[in-house]
Order: sequence, then structure tokens, then C-alpha cells
Amino acid sequence: MAEAGVIERYVDELDGRLRGPAAVKADLLAEARDSLADAADSYRDGGLSPEDAERLAVEEFGPLAVVAPGYQAELAAAHAATMLRTVMVLIPLTYVLWELNRMFWIGPWSSFGGGPTPGWYKFVSQGNGYVPWIITAIAGVSLVAGRVLSRRGVSGTTLSRLGGRVAIGCVGLGVAFNLSVVIGTATLDAPRLLMPAPVLLAGVMFYVVFIRVGVLAKRCLALSAV
Amino acid sequence: MKSDALRGHLDALLLATLDGGQLHGYAIIEALQRRSGGALDLPTGTVYPALRRLERAGHVASEWSTVAGRQRRTYRLTGAGQRALSDERAAWREFTVAIEGVLGGGPWPKQA
Repeated sequence: MAEAGVIERYVDELDGRLRGPAAVKADLLAEARDSLADAADSYRDGGLSPEDAERLAVEEFGPLAVVAPGYQAELAAAHAATMLRTVMVLIPLTYVLWELNRMFWIGPWSSFGGGPTPGWYKFVSQGNGYVPWIITAIAGVSLVAGRVLSRRGVSGTTLSRLGGRVAIGCVGLGVAFNLSVVIGTATLDAPRLLMPAPVLLAGVMFYVVFIRVGVLAKRCLALSAV
Repeated sequence: MKSDALRGHLDALLLATLDGGQLHGYAIIEALQRRSGGALDLPTGTVYPALRRLERAGHVASEWSTVAGRQRRTYRLTGAGQRALSDERAAWREFTVAIEGVLGGGPWPKQA
């Protein structure tokens, strides 16, 4: 086996330049290391010294400035895809949990003070019920669009940037409708907001998920800018 | 051949290399060099992200397997990749016929 040194140093430097999901990065680096070892073995079999064989393998692999951007783009794309899958699963799941809690602890909503419910409140409350499913659909369509765009040669960096923006839009939509319902309810019947603790907790979970998605989206933008 | 000239064709070249069956990354690079008679001068480190890009596009699928006692990620063409390769070949033939008509050095067709 060729002496460890030149290849390991190169892979370590590549590692240092890349940012992204740890598992994907480890996988990419393992493949790079294996390829370099294969090349070095081949040159060593051809008569080169182990060190020269490694040096030539690294030289052929390419300068880090040339090679790293391609790897970074794939890491950014992988992060964006994972984020969109997280959005697809986590947001509807949180919503269903909240609805189940609400049905168990509160039951059906009663009308406000016996009077008719204002139209604007109906709009935001019904919209708030649809938003998780709209967000799920947007995330699903984005994943499919990502594959289509990949086939058209769109880079992983661009896809990550688009994915990040879509996720930020989804969070904005979700928070806007949710806050509208909270503020609307506070305006019409503030005591109604004093819900049983499990329901409140499920409501807080919504914001935890939104914040998490927001952080992932911000990372998408950061990874596409490395 | 310079890498700039190759970049636009890299995806098609990789798909064509996998047409004969599944290969691991370094074997793909060797096949590219062998089939081009050593004319393809490309940093080999650019091949792996390109393979991942093709996987993201659904044109290839990959998995880790043990080849000659070493763990390697092997790639194979998917149905979509096979169709993309056919399209690339058709487009390439069309392109070479058109360019050959102009650069080939044969007699110019008489004007009508």
C-alpha cells in the first residue's frame, strides 16, 4: 500500500474546504480517498515509488480550487433535498398532532359569543388549516422540480439557493396564517387562547418546527455561497 | 483535449461509459481515458461530483459494494439515463454531421 501522506493531506484539505451534511460529506470524501488510492496503486504497479505514485494521483485528481466547488455544489443540493423532505413530513405531522390534541382536549370550536364569525376570521382560520398541506405540496413539487432542473444541468448551488428560498417562503406563509389566527382570536375572544397545556404545547411545537426549517433554509443559502 | 472543451460533454461521456454495465468511479475514469486513447485531459476529481449530479438527475444510481477487496461506490445507468444517453447520441450525430459539412473540407454544394 502506498505510504499515507500525500493523499491523506489532500483529502484533509478538501474536507476543510467543504461544508454540508456530515454523512454525505463523509461519503464523498471516502469515494475521493478510494479513487486516489486506486490511482496511486496503479502508478505504483507501473513502477513509481509510493510517494511519487500518490503525488501523481493527487495531481491528476486536480487542484482543490478546481475540484472543491463541484463537491460543495453536491453537498448544498443534498442539504436542500433533505430540508425539503423534512418540511414535507414535519409540518403536516405537527399540524395533525395539534389537531388531535385540540379535538381531544377542547372538542369542536364554538362560535364567538353566539354571533356570526367575521368573514376575515373565517378566511385566516380556514387558511391556517390548509397551509400545512399547501406547504407539503410546495415542498413535494420543489423536490420534483429539483430533479427536472438537475436534468437540465442546473447546478447544485442554484438548486440549494432555490430550495432555501422556497423553504423561507413556506415558513413565512405558515407563520403569517398562524399568527393571524392567534391575533384574530385574541381580538374576538382572548380567553379562548388559554387552552389546555397539551394543546398549547402542540402549538409551540409548530413554532419550533418553523424555526428549525428557517435555520435549515438559512443554511441552504449559506452552503450555496461557500 | 482541454477540460474546458470537455465540460459541456462530460455528462454524456459518463453516461456512455456506463452503457456497458455498472462501474465504480475509478473504473469509469480508466474507461474514459482508454476509450479516448488518453486524449481526455480532465481533473479526475471533477468526475465524482459529476456522477453525483447525474444521480441527482436520476440518470444513474449508485451503491457501495466490495470490488477487488476494497469498498467502492459503483454506478449504473437507470432507464432515464439510458434515454438521456440515446438523446445525447442523436444530438451528437446531428451536430457532427452539420460541422463536418462545413469543416470537412469537401466541395461546397452549388448554389441553386
